[in-house]
Amino acid sequence: MKTRTVELVASPREPHFVGDGFRVHNFIPSGYRMDMKRMDPFILMDYNSTYSFPPSEKPKGVGVHPHRGFETVTIAYKGKVAHHDSSGGGGVIGEGDVQWMTAASGVLHKEYHEKEWSKKGGDFQMVQLWVNLPKKYKMSAPKYQAIQYKDINHYILKDNSGHIEVIAGNYKNTNGVASTFTPINMLNAKLNKGRKADFQFPSHYNTTLLVLEGNIIINGSEKVPTDHLALMANDGEAFEIEATDDALVLVLSGEPINEPIAAHGPFVMNTKEELKEAFNDFNNGKFGYLED
Amino acid sequence: MNTPILKTFLTSNLNIDEKEIISIVENCTVKKVKKEEFLLRSGEHCKHTFFVESGLLRQFSIDQKGKEHILSFAPENWFVTDRESAFFNKPSVYFIQALENSEVVLIDENFVKLLSKKVENFTDFNNKLLHNHIRHLQNRINLLLSAVAEDRYLEFIKMYPDILLRVPQTMVASYLGITPESLSRVRKELASKNFKK
Repeated sequence: MKTRTVELVASPREPHFVGDGFRVHNFIPSGYRMDMKRMDPFILMDYNSTYSFPPSEKPKGVGVHPHRGFETVTIAYKGKVAHHDSSGGGGVIGEGDVQWMTAASGVLHKEYHEKEWSKKGGDFQMVQLWVNLPKKYKMSAPKYQAIQYKDINHYILKDNSGHIEVIAGNYKNTNGVASTFTPINMLNAKLNKGRKADFQFPSHYNTTLLVLEGNIIINGSEKVPTDHLALMANDGEAFEIEATDDALVLVLSGEPINEPIAAHGPFVMNTKEELKEAFNDFNNGKFGYLED
Repeated sequence: MNTPILKTFLTSNLNIDEKEIISIVENCTVKKVKKEEFLLRSGEHCKHTFFVESGLLRQFSIDQKGKEHILSFAPENWFVTDRESAFFNKPSVYFIQALENSEVVLIDENFVKLLSKKVENFTDFNNKLLHNHIRHLQNRINLLLSAVAEDRYLEFIKMYPDILLRVPQTMVASYLGITPESLSRVRKELASKNFKK
């Protein structure tokens, strides 16, 4: 088995606000080495690094907006988010929970800090990913998977090294609870100081690691500090990470869909005509209606 | 600075080769404006026509009660200016402001003169643009005087397919000359007609 090397380590870019409730560093798509094509099927990653929100009577967040053609995956690390959508669905995710929303043919939704959490305020840390859908599923019916932390399977590493939480895909025969449309591995690796974990994914799977807590070293040489992202090359299967202090790492690896991408605003389709249709459908109320 | 959108706009509409266009366009200033920054304020003299390479501008006035009225939005590939100020040398009654971080080409009189001199069909093309603009303004006045809110909205989404997702609803309502509540009602009624679960 060949070693998969590190292609680049990216520092977090200047944060910007999405609405008034998410202060994010955008990692994907950024620049030509981490654009939608290169990272396929992970077409967007916004990272809200730990940020302390002051108490607010009026919950902060993002108002009503549509999506079509992909899935949004929100992983809550600190804080609580409430969401509502045009089909009447809604829910709250808190620490360790994951909301996997298949927008597919289209939803309107809004995301706010959960009301009671907002009144107290506090540390907030989240990752939002957009996972692309293959052409044949882009116009399928929308659905939600509300994944609670207690339902996420853990693989316990030996020698008190820590554990791997499997959100999707699998790690050494421990399976993820999320169902996906294409092969995707989504893991939270929690490693104790000085301990290691090894990973293997097919070399053509696009693979990236986000360090949320602590510092790590990949393959014994590449240092990746907190809030940095490592893009792995597609030159091998196996790599190893070592925590230089207690660390939390989001590991993503997915098979590229390899279809044309036409993206504008909140829509990701295969052609420009389909994008036009998405705007037209949204403007004409075909996504439904949701009160702000 | 690079102005690919303006170059494409000109080469696809005029009998001119790309090299010549580049030499003319290179003399234009390209200005980067941050979201909320102004290119023109009421009381100032407007010296340019603004061509939007990227981003989004709005032209608006503020009435005596302090209420804003949006005359136009200008996304990528659009021109916007105050013609009364720029061509008749009057102080402007309008504001032109960036709604997103934008790149704007500042076009002045010399640019137009140079194009008229160098390009045979430029005057015809420029006339066509002007007529098109007047047609748009005529339609807009007629809709504001006579049309119900839904028809104004339907015309708006035809003219600006992606603006609804880029600006607050209150601005769209201001452009349409209706209250934000009316806009909400129109969109809700459209959804109840067109949304199929």
